[in-house]
Amino acid sequence: MWAARVAEGFVFGDLTPAAVETLKGVPMLIESSDSRVRDRLLPETCSKEKDEEHWREHAVPELERLFLSRAQLVRRDLDALRKLPESPNSVLLVPDEHVNAWVAALNAARLALFALSDMAAEHLDVEGFGKATPKQREAILRLDMMAEMQSVMLGNHELDDEDSSFEDFAME
Amino acid sequence: MVRAATKEKTDTKTSPKTSLATPWNVIVHDDPVTLQKYVTKAFIKVFGYGESKAHRLMMEVHKKGRSIVWTGAREQAEMYAQKLQAHHLLTSLEKVEA
Repeated sequence: MWAARVAEGFVFGDLTPAAVETLKGVPMLIESSDSRVRDRLLPETCSKEKDEEHWREHAVPELERLFLSRAQLVRRDLDALRKLPESPNSVLLVPDEHVNAWVAALNAARLALFALSDMAAEHLDVEGFGKATPKQREAILRLDMMAEMQSVMLGNHELDDEDSSFEDFAME
Repeated sequence: MVRAATKEKTDTKTSPKTSLATPWNVIVHDDPVTLQKYVTKAFIKVFGYGESKAHRLMMEVHKKGRSIVWTGAREQAEMYAQKLQAHHLLTSLEKVEA
């Protein structure tokens, strides 16, 4: 995979079929109803039951809507993936106006994949790969690839404008 | 009349102090997956902190496992916690014990 900054945004090229499969998994991971994913993306926030109920009622629905809107946006960009001529590989354009949503969506997908793979922090250490199961090794490679894309976009792009609000994220 | 007016003024000044609500802490917990640079940028974005403060808080989360990143009124604490969770930072809220 290579990455380049262009006028419209970021281009990620030479994406292998495995890389494309990883990216197509991003919205599915965000939308997962698995309790391990839900518990991580929408974690218990208050220790007292009454406060937690208040949080679930007032804050969580808006977060759920935001996550789903990001998943839909990522899916739309992935629908526009272009195949390279005479190659099984593809090219993805992440437009500037979608970068913030992509960076956050990749983070959500990495957290979800980590949770679904029953991994621990030590699996991400240098020696951790050797101790991982085959399924976890595959997950580590996918986590690394998504982190690489996040790093590219974080290095060249602010998370958002200073004066934008929480609602702006939902509109991305 | 003058004395009464003075007393009344004093009462209205002290009353709000005694009714101030207990502050709440916004706490961010460490997770092994989220990139450090992403956490720093989220603190800058959500709180408007400078780069060095955001980096220091991120390192505190990383090294100590958690950091109190903001303290204040409940409603605002909830708003900040929601914004941090919008970035998928592992965030909790706790009432400050007297």
